[in-house]
Amino acid sequence: MLWPVLALMTAVAIFAVLWPLARTNAAERTAADAEVYKDQLDEIERDRASGVIGVAEADAARVEVSRRLLAAADAKPPPALDAATGLRHRRSAAVITLVFVPLAAISLYLLLGSPNLPGEPLAQRLTAPAGTDSMAGLIARVEAHLEQNPDDGRGWDVIAPVYMRLGRFDDAIRAFRASLRLNGENADRQANLGEALSGAANGVITSDAKAAFERALALDASNPRAQFYLGLAAEQDGRTSDAVERWRKLLAQAPADAPWVVYVRQALARLDPAAATSAAPGPSAQDVASAADMAPSDRDQMVRGMVERLAARLSADGSDVEGWLRLMRAYVVLGDRDKARAAAADARRALASDPDKLRRIDEGAKNFGLDG
Amino acid sequence: MIPEIGHFALVLALLVGIAQASVPLIGARRNDPRLMGVAESTALAQFGFVAAAFAALTACYVRSDFSVLTVFENSHSAMPLIYKFTSVWGNHEGSMLLWVLILTLFGALVAAFGRNMPESFKATVLAVQAWIAVAFYLFILLTSNPFLRLAPAPFEGRDLNPILQDLGLAVHPPMLYLGYVGLSITFSFAMAALIEGRINAAWARWVRPWTLAAWMCLTLGIAMGSYWAYYTLGWGGWWFWDPVENASLMPWLAATALLHSLVVMEKREALKVWSILLAILAFSLSLIGTFLVRSGVLTSVHAFASDPMRGVFILAILVLFIGGALALFAWRAPLLKQGGLFAPVSREGALVLNNLLLTTACATVFVGTLYPLALEALTGDKISVGAPFFNLTFAPLFIPLLVAVPFGPLLAWKRADLPGVTQRLLGAFVVALLGIAATLAIEGHPVLPALVVGLALFVMAGALIDIAERIGTFRVPLATMAARARGLPRSNWGTALAHFGLGVVLLGIVGETQWGAERIVSMKPSDRVTLRHYDFSFDGTVPRSGSNYRDLVSRFTVRRDGEVLGTMQPAKRTFLSRNSSTSQAALMARGFSQLYVSLGDVSPDGSIVVRIYHKPMVLMIWLGAVIMFAGGAFSLSDRRLRVGAPRPARSAAAMQPAE
Amino acid sequence: MTRKRRRLTLIGAAAVVLAIALGLVLFALRDTIVFFNSPSDVISNAVKPGTRLRLGGLVAPGSVVRDNDLDMHFQVTDGNHSIGVAYHGILPDLFREGQGVVAEGTLEPGGSFRADTVLAKHDEKYMPKEVADALKKQGHWKDEYGNPGATAGTAK
Repeated sequence: MLWPVLALMTAVAIFAVLWPLARTNAAERTAADAEVYKDQLDEIERDRASGVIGVAEADAARVEVSRRLLAAADAKPPPALDAATGLRHRRSAAVITLVFVPLAAISLYLLLGSPNLPGEPLAQRLTAPAGTDSMAGLIARVEAHLEQNPDDGRGWDVIAPVYMRLGRFDDAIRAFRASLRLNGENADRQANLGEALSGAANGVITSDAKAAFERALALDASNPRAQFYLGLAAEQDGRTSDAVERWRKLLAQAPADAPWVVYVRQALARLDPAAATSAAPGPSAQDVASAADMAPSDRDQMVRGMVERLAARLSADGSDVEGWLRLMRAYVVLGDRDKARAAAADARRALASDPDKLRRIDEGAKNFGLDG
Repeated sequence: MIPEIGHFALVLALLVGIAQASVPLIGARRNDPRLMGVAESTALAQFGFVAAAFAALTACYVRSDFSVLTVFENSHSAMPLIYKFTSVWGNHEGSMLLWVLILTLFGALVAAFGRNMPESFKATVLAVQAWIAVAFYLFILLTSNPFLRLAPAPFEGRDLNPILQDLGLAVHPPMLYLGYVGLSITFSFAMAALIEGRINAAWARWVRPWTLAAWMCLTLGIAMGSYWAYYTLGWGGWWFWDPVENASLMPWLAATALLHSLVVMEKREALKVWSILLAILAFSLSLIGTFLVRSGVLTSVHAFASDPMRGVFILAILVLFIGGALALFAWRAPLLKQGGLFAPVSREGALVLNNLLLTTACATVFVGTLYPLALEALTGDKISVGAPFFNLTFAPLFIPLLVAVPFGPLLAWKRADLPGVTQRLLGAFVVALLGIAATLAIEGHPVLPALVVGLALFVMAGALIDIAERIGTFRVPLATMAARARGLPRSNWGTALAHFGLGVVLLGIVGETQWGAERIVSMKPSDRVTLRHYDFSFDGTVPRSGSNYRDLVSRFTVRRDGEVLGTMQPAKRTFLSRNSSTSQAALMARGFSQLYVSLGDVSPDGSIVVRIYHKPMVLMIWLGAVIMFAGGAFSLSDRRLRVGAPRPARSAAAMQPAE
Repeated sequence: MTRKRRRLTLIGAAAVVLAIALGLVLFALRDTIVFFNSPSDVISNAVKPGTRLRLGGLVAPGSVVRDNDLDMHFQVTDGNHSIGVAYHGILPDLFREGQGVVAEGTLEPGGSFRADTVLAKHDEKYMPKEVADALKKQGHWKDEYGNPGATAGTAK
């Protein structure tokens, strides 16, 4: 249905160009300038008659306009067109149009457009059969369910992380709050809420978010996410040393294969040099220098060990898109861009059958600056 | 399917545009009427295709088709229908589509109604118009494509920026664009004149109606934008010297100057080179405005999105068109012959003074707008140039201009009698002095605002005297006066109306800025506040639900001398999908003055921060702009501007008043 | 008058108007412009008290204190330094903790800042350009600020 319409439109476009070329004779126009000057003469006469200008002025003006009128009449008409050349021009114009317009239109459109995507107005999406449901459809269904049963705690638990993933933080906040109210409080839920709140504030740990993380820690002092974000809060408030201390402690208690360790290390690496120089006046300058020297290599080694494990796991089972992204990110952090690119390529191979995941890999690669 | 049809229509518009940009030019050079004729049909087809694309995009918005990326990003299925329409251009991509829609609309209008021009000239004009269109099609298709798709379609859209969910958005941008883009026609005329070497009095007459139409839309668009900012932003300001406002003011100043210089060119064939240059500059300033707004160089509520690629692309368009036009100008302009002679004191002299002051004022705005950008690029220092700068530079240039306004239309061409004209303006001087005296008696010192009131009254009275003189009031019998009034060309009425409107605007400005009153108070229900004889009592707050927002409405009863004048209901509006809120101010008109109430934060104890303003004569600012628009409309309906079109049977003889 | 003299009159008039305009512009540019500073700029440039400037940064989370309905103070921070801002009036609708803000006013003796105008971002997408640049300079910019829809705050 689409293509016939497009073909018809192309025909209209071509017709618009060709029609004037085929006209038997274009209407001859009179000298348009002369018309204007004649009208100006009339106007002077009117003004004089109504007394707006005096007789002398009218005469002077009339002379001036008459001179223009003569000049316009004198202007030579352009040489008449010789019929044969005219025909040749018209033919070439017509041929170029006939070839160029459809070809260029189709190629440009195929380059930019999405001819295979049907339009999906709201009314149509609402009545779409269940089998063809997309992620968005599922969300809509859960949302509709929750609208009917707002006290279904499990429903809120399901949808909240989805909102987070989609970046709909305000909805996520609402969902996490509902889950806290209905399912009871635990450290994870509080940390989730805190994360959503800071997401809604563009990554800033607001006082609300901070309160949520603190509550999570009160419930479970070892909650790593709360620890991490409270460190981030300290950093954002300018209390760098607090942040460093918190993250160091967090790393000390971390299980070696915890996936989040790399983020903590990365955050710490951002602040570490500053922390090292602003340390208490105890150690000598040399100590500071060697510590600053030590720490990164030490850190690198640990991280590398972890990254290798991750890489091994992914080469065995390549369906984990999060894992791939983490691996790419880790390589970027370690400064190994070639490996990061290789990881991206591996990921694309492993996920080739899943366009959604592929897109996420592409986005990731772009975010990490791995394109080109 | 609909979005794809729209997309394809836009691609076809580009190709038809390419044909229109080339074939008629060849035709004009070879004097081949058939090749020239291509200009008309393609101009109409281009408009048709862009209109189809625009209609398709609108359909996507109205049907909440979130498989289109821009619809998803700027719309929400629960939005009221009117905002589904207006959100089409409430974002970068859609507003650029509107831009080319209007560009092609003007092209189509020239094709359909420009019958009074020589064929080759018209073909060249339309070809130049098509160059502009082609550049912008490429810009839209390659960097700001409104028809990009999303698969699978998200279920719900992200909603339109709350500030833009307002009726003001329905009318302000299209009107402003009509003006901005309308100036493209004057540009095309200027380029065609340079290419064809046809720069004479007749050219001035052909280009004037188009300039006038663009100027009218620009005037109304700026005024609407100002009123919109006044009532939506919640602090009662109507002009902020914001770079985006300046971007619309600069073309307006240039277009105003052009309108006046065209009069000289038409009557006397003088100022030819200058008028051509102004026509180029006016549209160049529109393009610069587009660049400033669209490139993200400036960030403000108008800059929907910023993307360096877009900025570079528009900059390239800018350099190509402005640079190319000025180069062509430099090459062809020196070939022009001298125009008519005139003495410094004459109608021509007055119009030159008008042009001088308008363009200089425009230049100061230009400096103030671009200086911060230049300084940041050169030194990295960030500065803001605000209202104080513009008040200090713009006002001293505009005041002499306003003083001169009543003189201009009364001066004779070539050489005028200044003392005589001054004598005829005696009535206006008397009115102005009475106004100054009355103002001083009522408001007291300082003297300056009273003088400005006097100036405004002088301009208004001068406009009335202009008409009175022309129809011979007090000199001829009443019947003759009536006959003369009927016979008076519409453009004379237009001039007088527009000048009168200018005085009205000035009166509004001085009233609002000098005698406005403001109070910011925290109120609890049943609290009362008095401002300038008006007594506001806070009755309480009620929630009210809209389709995609919730209002917290506060009711105030307004009394004066104990008599109830009515209630005012400002609100805090919370948009559910974005969880953000806006203030809805309440307005109450008292003659030309307004009372203005807007809400601040609500405290937990139920008290609410309220801003109350009394804005004397504020409505005159926009009323004046409407009068200026009406003046333009009168002028536009003047038969003389349509010369060459088939003349009505009622010939010149019938128009002559019987004396 | 001859053609030449008329032309000279015209050029003379133009020169006078342009000279006046130029004088006004130069005078105004010296006196009316306001510089934009981040808190770090204020501290490192040792800006003198009484200087009028625009201060931009983020509203420090948890720092907004209302003395009463109309008077309040808060901290503006760029991550490295913060400056206390006192303000009397109504805050813009979109003023929030942790969001970008530009305050215009004067620096007072003692290093605090008295704002007479407070501008907040206009919508979720918008961060005042000056604030974004200042944050970038201080190394506290995250791409998420510019693009909250993407991956903001999900560093788990």
